Amino acid sequence: MKLFLGANIWEMMHGGSTHLPIALMLVSAVFDAFGGVIRSDRVKDRFHAAGLFTLMAGTLGAFPAVLSGLILARWEIGGTGALFWHHVFLWPAFALLIALSIWRLVVRGRRSRTGFLIYLLAAFAAAFLVSAAGFWGGEILLGGS
Amino acid sequence: MKRGLFEFVAGVLALVVAAVVVGGTLGSAGLVRAAIEKARSESAISGNASQLSPIVAHGQKLFAVNCSHCHADDATGDEGPDLHGLTKSDERIKTIVTNGIKGEMPAFGKKLQEADKEALVEFLRSLK
Repeated sequence: MKLFLGANIWEMMHGGSTHLPIALMLVSAVFDAFGGVIRSDRVKDRFHAAGLFTLMAGTLGAFPAVLSGLILARWEIGGTGALFWHHVFLWPAFALLIALSIWRLVVRGRRSRTGFLIYLLAAFAAAFLVSAAGFWGGEILLGGS
Repeated sequence: MKRGLFEFVAGVLALVVAAVVVGGTLGSAGLVRAAIEKARSESAISGNASQLSPIVAHGQKLFAVNCSHCHADDATGDEGPDLHGLTKSDERIKTIVTNGIKGEMPAFGKKLQEADKEALVEFLRSLK
């Protein structure tokens, strides 16, 4: 019973799922950036498809990460110290992941050059935010305080 | 619809959905936390020291002997940090108690049994 009610299962879920949005958002932005500079239409499309797939997987992975994190933090959405900084980066990152995914799904191939550049900037911003949230998450676990 | 306008409308839609999802998450978490705090405060009003559960009382005793020297008698912190409202998991607290923190806190792994560490965690969770 403790497995389900205690922190262990949530720690495992958080540890297992939290790396998905961090890693996948980073590679998604890089894939799309490659897709933006490559000339061959066939290869370009494949990079954009990979960027979309990794973005979706990262966004889906963010939901169990957020749920388990909230339970571990006893539903604290702010907090102090490392937890506070974790949340400062986490909430904008979570919102940006969802917004980017929806935008990509709605727009699909009908994007302009300017629209794509704005998307790419936002994607790298999301990658930075989610990585910073991950860094401060590590500080909660391994920091000395 | 022109491509630029279509992208803009899609962007607005995406931001609205993201705001609803994240806002809903934050609001729900706030409601759950408020309910937990309310239950805790009601429990504190109806309870007193003599009504501490045996495990919390045992943890309190262990705390007084082993921890209060650095964390103060009321656990509000002295040489060591305040232990009220800890956000670390039970397992993490027990690991810190067992292994200590290099250069900051001694290890109690050899001194305290598993049941003692669980009692300490229960006592720390009972702190208001």
